[in-house]
Amino acid sequence: MNMEKENWIANILNSTNGITDVVPSEDLFSKIQTRIKNQNKVSEKTVWLVAASIAVLVLLNCSLLLSKTKEEKTATTAYFETTLNQSNQLY
Amino acid sequence: MHFSLRMIDNQSHFEKLYREFHVLVFNVALHYLQNTEDAEEITQDVFVKIHHSLENFNQKSSYKTWIYRITINQCLDFLKQKNSQKRFFIFGKKSQNEQEYLNASTFEHPGIAMEQQEDAKILFEVINTLTENQKTAFLLSKLDGLSNPEIAEIMQLSISSVESLIFRAKATLKEKLAEKFNTYRKK
Repeated sequence: MNMEKENWIANILNSTNGITDVVPSEDLFSKIQTRIKNQNKVSEKTVWLVAASIAVLVLLNCSLLLSKTKEEKTATTAYFETTLNQSNQLY
Repeated sequence: MHFSLRMIDNQSHFEKLYREFHVLVFNVALHYLQNTEDAEEITQDVFVKIHHSLENFNQKSSYKTWIYRITINQCLDFLKQKNSQKRFFIFGKKSQNEQEYLNASTFEHPGIAMEQQEDAKILFEVINTLTENQKTAFLLSKLDGLSNPEIAEIMQLSISSVESLIFRAKATLKEKLAEKFNTYRKK
């Protein structure tokens, strides 16, 4: 039994003895070349997507800046009005 | 002019590397993944990577070692991705990928003699249960016929670590095969 087991294990472990190299398909190199060429090119869609994202970011920043300066202006006018009308006296 | 000359030079260098190493890359991937289509995909990935990093290759190691490292890493990433897909599809319908993964042990290696195919299937099935490092060291030693110092350079480990990995891999394989023998006997 033990001998049989040992032999079986040895047979399995030695089953890859004499293994030969396998050659891949002949068109593999042309497939690689095509992939390299395609990766070097940036698609038009990506370029437009990046341009649109930048435009949206710029617009958002501009609108934020504009609203902030407007807020600041109204705040200074309100403060000026309250300090001016404290005594109700002209002189 | 100088730039285009350099590009032509790189291209011919790349072609030379492909001619020299494409069989090696394909076979390492085949031993790892036990699937011809996956091995071809990995070979493509490896050579695309080589093309991109050829200019930055620092010559600290040989091309052979460098290409071995890229191939092994690519195979390990591929297997990790496949395993995570398997986990994801456990809750859903079996995908084609999962089916392929489950069939991995039924793969017949085209480089193995017909009469050894059944035994080799069992061996590959058990090899797939080894840890990443044990599997790498064992495959490089047993199937690629590399020496321990060569494996140590590829895996960036000491020679004694490689020896221990191969020793443990063989012990685990024997242990798992012994378990398999009992089920084999029952049949």
